[in-house]
Amino acid sequence: MVKKKSDVYSVEIYGTKDLEKTETGDKDEKYKDLKGNKKKKKTEDLKKELDLDDHQLSPSDLEEKYGTNISKGLSSARAAEILARDGPNALTPPKSTPEIVKFLKQMVGGFSILLWIGAVCSWVSFGIQFAQGAESPFDNLYLGVVLALVVILTGIFAYYQEAKSTNIMASFSKMIPQQALVIRDAEKKELPADKLVVGDIVEIKGGDRIPADIRLISAQGCKVDNSSLTGESEPQSRSCDFTHENPLETKNIAFYSTTCVEGTATGIVINTGDRTIIGRIASLASRVGNEKTPIAIEIEHFVYLVAGVAVSIGVLFFIISISLRYKILDSIIFLIGIIVANVPEGLLATVTVSLSLTAKRMAKKNCLVKNLEAVETLGSTSIICSDKTGTLTQNRMTVAHLWFDNQIYSADTSEDQITQPFDQSSPSWTALSKIVTLCNRAEFAPGQENHPIMKRVVVGDASETALLKFAEVILGDVMNIRARNKKVAEIPFNSTNKFQLSIHETEDPNDKRFLLVMKGAPERILERCSTIMINGKEEPLDSEKAEAFQTAYMELGGMGERVLGFCHLYLPENEFPDTYPFDTDSMNFPTSNLCFVGLLSMIDPPRSTVPDAVSKCRSAGIKVIMVTGDHPITAKAIAKSVGIISATSETVEDIAKRLNIPVEQVNRREASAAVVNGMELKDMSLQQLDEILCNHSEIVFARTSPQQKLIIVEGCQRQGAVVAVTGDGVNDSPALKKADIGIAMGIAGSDAAKNAADMVLLDDNFASIVTGVEEGRLIFDNLKKTIAYTLTKNIAELCPFLIYIIASVPLPIGTITILFIDLGTDIIPSVALAYEKAESDIMNRRPRNKRKDRLVNEQLAVYSYLHIGIMQSIGAFVTYFTVYAEQGFLPSTLLGVRVKWEDNNINDFEDSYGQEWTKYQRLYLQWTGYTAFFVSITIQQVADLIIRKTRRNSIFQQGLFRNKVIWVGIFSQIGIALILTYGLGHVTALNFTPLRFQYWFVAVPFAILIWVYDEVRKLFIRRYPGSWWDKNMYY
Amino acid sequence: FDSSFCLFSLAVKILLFYVIFYGCLAGIFIGTIQVMLLTVSEFEPKYQDRVAPPGLTQVPQVQKTEISFTAADPKSYDPYVKNLEKFLKDYSADQQTESIIFQDCGEIPADYKERGPYSESQGQKKVCRFKREWLENCSGINDPTFGYRDGKPCILVKLNRIIGFKPKPLANGSLPEEVMAKYNPYLIPVHCTAKREEDADKIGTVDYYGMGGYPGFALQYYPYYGKLLQPRYLQPLVAVQFTNLTYDMEVRVECKAYGQNIQYSDKDRFQGRFD
Repeated sequence: MVKKKSDVYSVEIYGTKDLEKTETGDKDEKYKDLKGNKKKKKTEDLKKELDLDDHQLSPSDLEEKYGTNISKGLSSARAAEILARDGPNALTPPKSTPEIVKFLKQMVGGFSILLWIGAVCSWVSFGIQFAQGAESPFDNLYLGVVLALVVILTGIFAYYQEAKSTNIMASFSKMIPQQALVIRDAEKKELPADKLVVGDIVEIKGGDRIPADIRLISAQGCKVDNSSLTGESEPQSRSCDFTHENPLETKNIAFYSTTCVEGTATGIVINTGDRTIIGRIASLASRVGNEKTPIAIEIEHFVYLVAGVAVSIGVLFFIISISLRYKILDSIIFLIGIIVANVPEGLLATVTVSLSLTAKRMAKKNCLVKNLEAVETLGSTSIICSDKTGTLTQNRMTVAHLWFDNQIYSADTSEDQITQPFDQSSPSWTALSKIVTLCNRAEFAPGQENHPIMKRVVVGDASETALLKFAEVILGDVMNIRARNKKVAEIPFNSTNKFQLSIHETEDPNDKRFLLVMKGAPERILERCSTIMINGKEEPLDSEKAEAFQTAYMELGGMGERVLGFCHLYLPENEFPDTYPFDTDSMNFPTSNLCFVGLLSMIDPPRSTVPDAVSKCRSAGIKVIMVTGDHPITAKAIAKSVGIISATSETVEDIAKRLNIPVEQVNRREASAAVVNGMELKDMSLQQLDEILCNHSEIVFARTSPQQKLIIVEGCQRQGAVVAVTGDGVNDSPALKKADIGIAMGIAGSDAAKNAADMVLLDDNFASIVTGVEEGRLIFDNLKKTIAYTLTKNIAELCPFLIYIIASVPLPIGTITILFIDLGTDIIPSVALAYEKAESDIMNRRPRNKRKDRLVNEQLAVYSYLHIGIMQSIGAFVTYFTVYAEQGFLPSTLLGVRVKWEDNNINDFEDSYGQEWTKYQRLYLQWTGYTAFFVSITIQQVADLIIRKTRRNSIFQQGLFRNKVIWVGIFSQIGIALILTYGLGHVTALNFTPLRFQYWFVAVPFAILIWVYDEVRKLFIRRYPGSWWDKNMYY
Repeated sequence: FDSSFCLFSLAVKILLFYVIFYGCLAGIFIGTIQVMLLTVSEFEPKYQDRVAPPGLTQVPQVQKTEISFTAADPKSYDPYVKNLEKFLKDYSADQQTESIIFQDCGEIPADYKERGPYSESQGQKKVCRFKREWLENCSGINDPTFGYRDGKPCILVKLNRIIGFKPKPLANGSLPEEVMAKYNPYLIPVHCTAKREEDADKIGTVDYYGMGGYPGFALQYYPYYGKLLQPRYLQPLVAVQFTNLTYDMEVRVECKAYGQNIQYSDKDRFQGRFD
C-alpha cells in the first residue's frame, strides 16, 4: 500500500520509478495520514491511467480508437453523445456540505446543546407545573422559548457569517468560461472548453490554456508551461513525436490546465474533466484530510472548559438542592439558572464577528480569507514554506547586471523603474544597446502606449521581454529604432546553436554597411569573437581579456542570474553590397571573428517589499523556508537577496569553500543555512529531513517538485510547527490542504490551488502574508481579551443562584435578565475589544506554542472567575442588599426567607419594620432587585471592559481613547441598560422595573476597585517578570 | 527535594494570597453593607413605593386562600379555627392591660392619632386598644369555632400594615350604595361581594362586625409607627360572617376596602382587596 501511495505522488512528475526506492523501507510514516482504504481504488485508477498508450499510437490508430477524423473532427451528434456519456469537461468542485447540514451543525455546536438542555428543562418544569395547576407556570414556558430562540438566532447568525465568507470565495472562483478551437463537422468552431469530448480535434496556440489532455498530432514550435502540473517554470517543448514510455514525460501529450506558451499545435482530446491527470490529482487532494484550525481547537477547548464548569456546578448544586430538600422541580429550575448563567450565550457570535472583522481588514490588505478561522491560524504560524516565483519575486525576468568595458554595472530591478541610473556615456554601451534592441524578436502587444513600460504585455519569451523592456526604458521607442534599422535576415534562437542572430541595415544613410548582431550563451558567443570592444574601440581578445570575461561571467552566474553575451560585426560594404542575398540556411555571412561587446544578466528579481517582510518574519520568530522548482544557485541568490538566507550565514558548501576542505568534513551544525536540492531530498530518510529542518534556521529547497513540498510540510508539522504554505499549481493542492494554512496565489494560482487553500493572496505578494500574520496574532490576543471580558460576569450571574440556593434569599437576578446581559449589553463591548491595538510589538515575539499558549488558559479562567468575577458579584450584591434594605428588608431579614417569600398565598409578609407585603409587591421588589443587580453588573462590566484593553501594560500606556470603538461599546452598554430599565421597565415579562437613579452608582466604587486592582496586577507583572505573580496572574 | 519545596512554597504563597484577597473582599463587603445600614433608619424604611398602597388580607389562611370545610366534621375546620384563635390572641382583653403601652381610642371611629416623629426620642409609642368583643359572633368568645360548626364561617379582614400610612376615607357621596348604610367619615369601609355575577345569589347574607359596629377600619389606628416603636400594635379588624352561604359550591368572594388612597391593581389581586 505504501508503494501504491507513492505512485500517486511520484507519478506527477517522475513517473513511478523514481520515488519508489525512497518510498519503500522506512517511509511508512510519510503518507500516514494520506492513507485510507478509500484511496486505494483511486490509486489504482490512476495507475490504470498510466497504462495509457495513446502517446505510442500512430495518428491513424488514434482516429480509430476514438472514432474520429483528424481533418474533419467528430460530428456534432457524436460529440453530443459522448458528452452525455462522459459529462462536461470540467473538474468537479469538491463536494460541499449541504446547507441544511451546515445550518444544523450551528444549531447543536458549542454551547447550543447546553442551552437546548436548559430549554427542555424549562418546558418539562412548565409541563409539571401546568399539570399541577400552579398559578403562574408560564414563566418557564417563556424561558424555554427564549432559550430556544437564543440558540436558533445565534445559530442563524453564525451560519449567515459563514455563508457570507464562503460567498466571497464562490464569486472569486467563478472564472470566465474558457473557449477552445475545435474541429467538428469538418469546421473550425469556438466552443466553451467544458463542451469538449474525447476524440475532439482541438487547435491550440501560444497563450491558450490547454483545454483537456491532448495527444498532439502536429505541432509548430509549440512550448507548454507545465508549472501548474509539475512546478517547473521552464517552458517545455512539445512535438508530435513519441519520446518517452511514460505518458507524463513524452513530448506528444499536453495536459489539461497547463498553458501553451508559444507556437501552435493540433491534437486529439484523449481525456476530459476529472479523468485528466490534473483532475485525478485535484480529486485526490480533496481527500487529504483538512486539519482543524488552531483557533477551532482553542474554541473547542474553551467550550469544553466552560461547559464543564457549567455542568459540574449545575449538577453539584442540583445534588445540594435536593439534599437541602428542595423539590425536584425547583432543583431543575436552579439547574437551568446555573446553566444559563454559566454559558456565555453571545460569545461564539462575538468571536465570529471579531474574526470576520479581521478577515475584512485582511481582505483590504489583499489577504482573502476563505475560512474565517484561518484568520488566526496565520497568526500562530511558525514556519512559512514559500514559493519563490511570483511570491517572493516579481515573476518576470528583468535585466539586473551589465558587463561592458571590463566593468559590471547594476541595473534597477524595482517594480516601477522609469530610468536606469548606470553610466551610459560609454560608446560600448551604445553598441551594446543597439544589439539589445535589434537582436530581439519580442514586441509589445499593440494599444498599450499609455501603460507604464513595466506593465505592458509583450509577445515573446521571458528573456527577450526583459531585454525589450530594458531597452525601451533607456532608449525610448524601440519599435521605431528597429524600423529605422531594417532587418534583412534572422536566425532565431535554437538549442543547438544557442545563439540568435540578425542582420540589419544601419540607420545612418551614409553608412551602407550591414550590421550583424548576435546574442546567446556567453561562452558560445565568446568562441565566435576575435575582438572585444573596450570604450568603443575594438581590441584584440587576448587571454587577459578572456580571463576578465570569465570572471564576470562566473560572478553574474554565481548570483543566480541568466547571462547572455552580445556581439556584433559591421559587414564590409564591398563584400556585402546592398543587394547581397543573405541566406540563413547556408549562412553565407561570417559568424565568427566577431566583436564581443558585453554581457547582460537577468533575473526574476525579488519584490521590493519582500526583504522587509522576511526580516519581520524573522523577528516574529517565523522561519521562512523557500521551496522552489528553480535551480539551487538562482534560489540561493534570491534567498540571499530577500534575507531568507541572511548575509552572515553560510551553507555547508560555503564553509567547505572558505576552509578549503571537502564538504563531508564540515560540521553540519556550524552551518545555519542550507540549500537542499530536490534530488538530495528524494534520497533522504525522514530522520535526515527532520535533522535538516531542526538544525538549520535558514533553508532553501531547490529543484523540488510540488509533491516534495508535501513531504516538507509534513516534516515541519512533525516538529510541532504551524505551517503556512504558499502555492499556485494544481500539484500544490495536497500540500496546501495538508498545511495548517494553505495560501493560494490570487493571480497566478490555479482554481484547484485556490480550492484547496484557506486563504488567497490577491496580489501574490509575500509581504501580504506578513500583514496577515500580524492581524492573526492581534486577533488571538484580542479574542483572549474578549473571552476574559465575557467570562468575568458569568460569576456575577452564577453567584446569585448559589447564594439563593444556600442562603435562601429572594432571587437576586432572573434568568431572563441574565440573557439580557449576555446578549444585550455585553455584545458590542466584547466586539469592540477586537479593535484594540496591539500592546507591544506583536511581531517581535515568537509565534505561540500551540500546545502551551492556549486561548483560554488556567490563568485567564482563574483571574476572570475568581478575582474580577468575585469582585463584581460583591459589588452587585451590595446593590441588591441596598435596594432591599431601603425598601424595608434589612439583610438579616432576607436570609432564609425564600419559601415564604415565594409563597403565592402569603400576602401579609412582614418585613424588618413590621410592614406587610403582598406577594405581588414582593415580586415587584424582587424585579427591582434584578434590575439593580443587572445595572451593577453592567456598570462593573464597563470597568471590566477598560481593564481588558491590556493584559500587561497600564491602561494609560495603551491610551484610554485610542480605541474609539471601546467607547461606542461603553455607551451602547449603558444606553441599552437605560432603555431596558426605564424604557421597558413596565413590560412585566422582561422583569425590569424603573430603578432609582442612585442605585446606578452603588457599584461604582467596586468598578473603580476592579480597575485599581487590575492596574496593580499589571504593575506587578511588569515589575517582577517571572515571579509567581507573573506566572499566575498573566493570562 | 528542591523542586517539591519550591512547589510547596508556591502553594503556600498562593494560598496566602487567596486568604488575604478574599479576606479583604469579605471585609470590604461587610464594611460597605454596614455603611449602607448606617444610612438606613431603624424606625422607618427609606422608601415605601413598593409596599404601598396596602394589601388587604384575610385570616384564617391555611396553605391557600381558599376555605372549605364540612360543618359536621370539626377536623375539617380545625386548622381555620386554630389560625383565627392564634391571630386573635393578641386582641384578647387580658393582653391589652398594660396602660403604658395601650390606650383607649374610643368606641367609634375617629380621626388619625399622630404620635410624633418616627424616632426613639420620645420612647415607644402607645397603641390603640382593639376590643375583641367588637367582633361579636366572630370574636370566638362565645363561639370558639367562629361559626364554622354552624356553617356560618367567619373571616377576619385586615389592611396590611404600612408605616406612616394614613388611609383616606372616600367622601360621603362617592361610596358605593351598599356600604353607605353605615357611613362614618373616619372609617375605611370594607365590603364583600361575589366575585362572579352568577355567585351573587349564592353568597347569601353577609354580616360585618368591627369597631363600634362599623364595617371598616377606624382611622384612629393609623398611622402605624413600626415594629420598634409599636411592637404590640393592633391593626383594626373587620370580621365578615357568611350566614347564609350556599353549600357544596365554590363561591368566590371579593372583599374590598374603600379609601382614596387604597387602589386596586389587576396584577396584584391583594392590593386593597382580595378574593
